[in-house]
Amino acid sequence: MQSRRSLALRVLVGIAVATAVGAGALAWSSTLLGEYSVMDMGGAAVDVSGVPSEHTGHSGHTGHSAGPDTSAGAVSVTTLTADPDRPADVHAELIARQERVDVPGGHSIQGYTVNGTSPGPVIRARQGELVEVVFVNESVADGATLHWHGIDVPNSADGVAGVTQDAVPIGGRHTYRFVATDAGTYWYHSHQVSHEQVEGGLLGAVVIEPAAQPAATDVAADIVALLHVYGGQHTLNGRVGDEQVAAEPGSMVRVRVINSDQGTAAVWSAAPFRVLATDGQEVNSPTDVLHQKLLIPAGGRADVAVPAPLQGAVRLQVGGARGILVGDPTATAPRPAQPAETLDLLAYGDPAPLGFDVASPGRVYDYVISRRFGIIDGRPGNFWTINGKLFPDVPMFHVSEGDVVVMKIVNDSADVHPMHLHGHHVVVLSRDGVAASGSPWRVDSLDVHPHESYEIAFVADNPGIWADHCHTLLHAVDGLIAHVMYDGVTTPFTINGEAGNKPE
Amino acid sequence: MRKIYSAIAWTVAAGVAVQAAAIAFGVGGMVHFVQEGGVVDKALIESRQLAYTGELGFWIHAIVGAGVIPLAAVALLIVAFFVRVPRARLWAAIVLGLIMAQVTLGFALRDIPYLGLIHGTNALAVLGAAAFAAVRVRQSSRATRQEAKSDAVAA
Repeated sequence: MQSRRSLALRVLVGIAVATAVGAGALAWSSTLLGEYSVMDMGGAAVDVSGVPSEHTGHSGHTGHSAGPDTSAGAVSVTTLTADPDRPADVHAELIARQERVDVPGGHSIQGYTVNGTSPGPVIRARQGELVEVVFVNESVADGATLHWHGIDVPNSADGVAGVTQDAVPIGGRHTYRFVATDAGTYWYHSHQVSHEQVEGGLLGAVVIEPAAQPAATDVAADIVALLHVYGGQHTLNGRVGDEQVAAEPGSMVRVRVINSDQGTAAVWSAAPFRVLATDGQEVNSPTDVLHQKLLIPAGGRADVAVPAPLQGAVRLQVGGARGILVGDPTATAPRPAQPAETLDLLAYGDPAPLGFDVASPGRVYDYVISRRFGIIDGRPGNFWTINGKLFPDVPMFHVSEGDVVVMKIVNDSADVHPMHLHGHHVVVLSRDGVAASGSPWRVDSLDVHPHESYEIAFVADNPGIWADHCHTLLHAVDGLIAHVMYDGVTTPFTINGEAGNKPE
Repeated sequence: MRKIYSAIAWTVAAGVAVQAAAIAFGVGGMVHFVQEGGVVDKALIESRQLAYTGELGFWIHAIVGAGVIPLAAVALLIVAFFVRVPRARLWAAIVLGLIMAQVTLGFALRDIPYLGLIHGTNALAVLGAAAFAAVRVRQSSRATRQEAKSDAVAA
């Protein structure tokens, strides 16, 4: 009796295990993505404004969308270009290679170079100029692209493999053209297998000077401080070492800090400094920062003004490991202790008009980040979710040209997420319900810390299909990527197809 | 089946020992790196590039803790259904439950560092429960064999 019951139990457990394995295999195979278009990703995000509008027809329901308005008058991303007849004011050729990267002061690593070095050359232009960059892939096996991080380029020049172009194969070339509309500090990097290619060094700085130089000319020097970790080595402009900037006492040095790493960088000094710009956008009436550190999100930039001391030199710490000495070039300065307090950009500088009305936005969206176990493309793991959905069922944020879009980004996970929206600048309206009270805080890369919620707004003034993702790039690989899609815009490019496009 | 059950339970117990060793290796290596002027910041951690001796300890801790041990515990519970020892399933379930709590604590302690105190202590509970589960099925196995022998003599 005992053994028969036991046998029955074993058979039952056997059947249960077999069923579970079978169902698991079926569920697993259903997650395989194969070749796909971002047009088919997820479902339209729900507009949470609660205001019935003319948009509800395509924003009020979920499910697989074939892309709204694709039938009539569809605009391909390839047609969203800078004026093709306008001659270029600034021309450059950037050649990408997969090779050993020389890291002066440290040891070389296997990575990627642009024109033989990493970081690649600084692209400099003046506001309003048309920039034309011919990108050549000489030896990057997976193919490569250039994304102009923070620059509101026309969609066709955004450089996202599988969305706005095909990855450039070895021997191929691609021309990027855009008008440098906004002055500021930006950078370029590959957006094909980006978590490897950016980490490996396929990147460089972009500086756009204002059309008219400001009247005050006490700027002794204007320098780029690009931070990158190569093979575990913290570098400043590609070198394992500090830099020295000679400056007359009382004069000012503008340091353009670019965080090309995967995590937040801290900037601080023992002497007061000012934050002139965040992500290329000027801060209104910046004040002295002392005993506080400035945090720059992964992918973000900050322009910092450092006055040269009356004697000796002052040290600006850029990232935990490197520093810039400003002042007497023969003097040294000790590494200042890291302040415990963080500068709150929500209340820094003086308020100024935003230039658009956020009171009655055309679209209101939630972007809630969480994490759970699941399977993406046949790969089990603890993945990020957006509004509770795993990739590729993440929401698609539909907008129409001219919409004012308000988005509430909520981080329900235990990690920091530097959220980066392509092609637009967003302004921070509030954090955890506290309204912004300082200068308009304009960014394209925003650190959202665990359990924080940010309300941001932007004007949908740059038609296209734009990635809106985490710039800790492995998080994007693990599903933390969605898109802002303008109605009527389509893309002929696909991901995982013949062209081998893998944007993350 | 008892041998498999016991082996898996010992694997879990050994896994706990690996975890303790790996995290001490990691912390030791990091402190040494910092003493030598190295900097550990978010940029370095997220770059996932080995910068110092001992960093491998953190990787081992993550892979064994979030992968190897939980999978072993699930396997233990499945095998338990094929082992004819009283409360084999109960003890497999206890081991799995403690491990689920341990993994949850491991992820949550970045949010609330105080949970690290429980994470460290709960590790000992996992070790104890797994070792006990392993030992008791083997003891029970020996007892059954002896019983069977005496039955044979009697018959």
